[in-house]
Amino acid sequence: MSRRRRMVLPQVARWIDNRLGASRVARTTLNKVFPDHWSFMLGEIALYCFVILLLTGVYLTFFFVPGSKEVTYNGSYGPLQGVEMSQAFESTLRISFDVRAGLVMRQIHHWAALVFIAAIIAHLMRIFFTGAFRRPREINWMIGVSLLVLAIANGFTGYSLPDDLLSGTGLRIAYSVVLSVPVVGTWIAFLIFGGDFPGTEIITRFFVIHILIVPAAIAVLLVAHLAILVRQKHTQFAGKGRTNTNVVGARLWPTFTAKTLGLFFLVFAVLAALGGLAQINPVWIWGPFEPAAVSAGSQPDWYVGWLEGSLRLFPEWETRLFGFEIPNPFYSGVLIPSVTFGALYAWPFLEARMTKDYAEHHILDRPRDRPVRTGIGVAVLTFFVLLFLAGGNDVLAARFDISVNQITWALRIAVLTLPFLAFLLTYRLCRELQARERAEPPAVAVLERGREGGFTEVEPTTTR
Amino acid sequence: MSGPPDDRAAFERRTVNQVAIAFTISALASVGLAVTYWQGGQNQVEGVLLAIALGGIGYGFVVVARRLLPQGPYTEERDVLPSTDEMVTDFETDLERGEGWLARRGFLLKMLGVAGGALGLAALFPIRSLGPNPGRSLFQTKWGKGSRVVDEQGDPVRVSTLDVGGVLTVFPEGSLEVEDSQVILIRVSDENLVTKKGREDWAPEGYVAYSKVCVHAGCPVGLYQQDVKELLCPCHQSTFDVLDAARPIFGPATRSLPQLPLMIDDDGFLRSQSDFDEPIGPGFWNRDR
Amino acid sequence: MGRFGLALGALALSATAMAVGLVSAGAAPDSPGEATPLGGGNDGELVDRGRELYLTGCSSCHGLDGGGTDQGPSLVGVGAASADFQLSTGRMPNTEPNRQAVPKPPAYDRDEIDALVAYVASLGDGPPIPDVDDPAGDLVLGGRLFTLNCAACHSSAGNGGALSSGRNAPTVHGATRVQAAEAIRTGPGPMPVFGPETLTDKQVNSIVEYVRYLRDPEDPGGLDLGLVGPITEGLVALLFGLVVLAFVCKWIEPKEPAE
Repeated sequence: MSRRRRMVLPQVARWIDNRLGASRVARTTLNKVFPDHWSFMLGEIALYCFVILLLTGVYLTFFFVPGSKEVTYNGSYGPLQGVEMSQAFESTLRISFDVRAGLVMRQIHHWAALVFIAAIIAHLMRIFFTGAFRRPREINWMIGVSLLVLAIANGFTGYSLPDDLLSGTGLRIAYSVVLSVPVVGTWIAFLIFGGDFPGTEIITRFFVIHILIVPAAIAVLLVAHLAILVRQKHTQFAGKGRTNTNVVGARLWPTFTAKTLGLFFLVFAVLAALGGLAQINPVWIWGPFEPAAVSAGSQPDWYVGWLEGSLRLFPEWETRLFGFEIPNPFYSGVLIPSVTFGALYAWPFLEARMTKDYAEHHILDRPRDRPVRTGIGVAVLTFFVLLFLAGGNDVLAARFDISVNQITWALRIAVLTLPFLAFLLTYRLCRELQARERAEPPAVAVLERGREGGFTEVEPTTTR
Repeated sequence: MSGPPDDRAAFERRTVNQVAIAFTISALASVGLAVTYWQGGQNQVEGVLLAIALGGIGYGFVVVARRLLPQGPYTEERDVLPSTDEMVTDFETDLERGEGWLARRGFLLKMLGVAGGALGLAALFPIRSLGPNPGRSLFQTKWGKGSRVVDEQGDPVRVSTLDVGGVLTVFPEGSLEVEDSQVILIRVSDENLVTKKGREDWAPEGYVAYSKVCVHAGCPVGLYQQDVKELLCPCHQSTFDVLDAARPIFGPATRSLPQLPLMIDDDGFLRSQSDFDEPIGPGFWNRDR
Repeated sequence: MGRFGLALGALALSATAMAVGLVSAGAAPDSPGEATPLGGGNDGELVDRGRELYLTGCSSCHGLDGGGTDQGPSLVGVGAASADFQLSTGRMPNTEPNRQAVPKPPAYDRDEIDALVAYVASLGDGPPIPDVDDPAGDLVLGGRLFTLNCAACHSSAGNGGALSSGRNAPTVHGATRVQAAEAIRTGPGPMPVFGPETLTDKQVNSIVEYVRYLRDPEDPGGLDLGLVGPITEGLVALLFGLVVLAFVCKWIEPKEPAE
């Protein structure tokens, strides 16, 4: 019986090979070597979150109705019985209360979105702090930054779909930011929303963007991202036997495959646990969107929090000249994000120019080995963490009983000073760590065990 | 992984047992999941069982990978990424076949540019159908001469409706829930209130009305602090002085909330004298024109 | 793993602590039992007793005859509702007149409060203790009214919110229905006043039904994380979800770079 089974697989493989001639490529692929470091798996976490978003997302599309038409609620959630609401909100309530396993799917989907972007940013930070964006990986860096932008866009469109009070407030702010664009702002806002705010079109249009346009763009860019990675091979840290012209690690088949599949299931498991145990975005508490209502403590999802903080902290400056104006939200809502992402895109080229280093790099830096870059990275991170806190200044004020006015002023000053402090501290820390290593090289003894037992010492290789 | 064969075999057996148990637990959780669903479902149970089902499989894969599969380390040489000079020259030669021909047909290329460009431009026109011309819509609301002030239920507002220190969200009669026409009505006192020169009769009997759409980013300015007579917008904390024509005193707002001129008709109902004297809401490019 | 694991663990712990800190609201001070609507007509003995208590505990700020001083406002015409609210939530006596009065364990028991309330009510006509059961409130109507009139300051979940200059709209979870109705009718501190011609009794009773519902709203999704919103959700995703997964990665690939 086992002999028969053993003969089927090669027969199938032969059949495919006769038509595609893929054996050689398949063999090369199976043998590909992947360097192993736990931080190299952060990108995979993001990838698997995307897969889970697709799976749960498809499920949700079978039940969600992306319409603005007003209907009367008749489901199981008591406090909204008989209330007029859009189809979008009503179908979200139905998924949450009246579709079996609907809520857990919806919550897994939303948690996955939050972790997706968290993983992308963690991955981006790993790439940044180890210098993996250097030649020849500048293209992949830019693809990666684009993936971050797209992920944020899909998150925003996604949590706006239920048409609840919280996300509707966010939409109003977005409308105003678009409106603030010079010359064409009013036109762009009217075209996107189909007229005045809120209009009746935006939910349907966001739905198309959220389930079709952006996921397709992400998928295409992901394929390119991975293809380039395969072509160029992964980077690796310095170490025994590792050079700038090789890769050392485990083979794709079977070890890497097993590990990465395991990671997929574990990512899914963590998200499933969150989806079942931790409530997220309880739209029934916010209620359906009403244009004249708003809640205290309104924040966007965390990955937009920095933008919200920018809007809250930016002082009351605007330009008005000759009957034309560039209103305040333009600076905080368009200019700052543009500069941010522009700098992100340009970083590999900026650094190459500043360091005059145009060589190919396949060996990674340890963050401490590049104190300036690491310092800049920590400074920028500090800036964004402060903006994130600023986005929640009213929640912080209420919770810790401090004046929101004082918090705002404190954060305004902090945002302009703490990043520099962070740079200096980080720079010093890196230098200090380097100095310690030079003074006292780590006491490392590399021992090799013989076939008959017993150990012999092998000369340790320095890591730099 | 070196060592005497017996140890190794025992280690493998232990690992295989562990993984088998993990897979069994996973399978049981999946069965539990199906049963839960069949029995009507329960979110927490579904989430936990799904997590166990998935986690068991994941655990199994990772343990097998770490303990049983070949660890290496294996080494693979990198390709030299840039192509050799010979390959590049060959490529250029082949490209030249078409490119050279093209180079001698500059005129044709330009005409292709014209055709393509025109098509591209024409293809953008359907975007126009996405929405109407902004026109004057940002400059007008539904308030007009004599519009009766009504609350969210549509009931008209009288002189007696608000106590001193009271606040209400109101709309013009017939235009409930129209976003740009939402107004915050505040009873500051019993007496006529003059918020600014030229607005002497805008706030009769202490009733003052401001557009509720924040001039910063459009959120409803819903927090009225009746002891200090300030309006606070919850979104970005712009604060407006109600007695001083809603002048901004904190936050990113750069101008006052537009004030709606009120009057009291012969039957004691509140009405607007006219629309606002400026566009409501956040700024835009040609707002001052 | 050592140093790095410690750092990650510390980060996760501190984030969880922050999230929990954000989430947990202060415990509601003990309520001395609900007031009953005063049946109209002053009980002379009660008023006298109230006056005695008033002279000892309140007159230094509110004046010997309730007319107010520069430390505290006049109580003439504030009504039984206002007095009962302030006293039963412990806001009064206010030990820091320059700051917003905060709820604390009441200084008086129910009988003493009833007496003080009767005295204050006798000073002038004002809002009486509301009857929150008649007319019966409607939960759905209450939710709609709460969203439009209350959520802007108290948040949709009733957690409260920040006002200017260090003041806040407190959480509504600690209030009894009567206290909530009293607050609505009397507009304490920064809160606006919603009189009988602004909101009918049925509307007020509906709102307080919803306020009570918000103490323990439906949370089919699991732990409600304090219903603070996307901030806590983000913190959980970042510093629990991502950190757990980072630990998972470390478990899968435990080797250090310099091998």
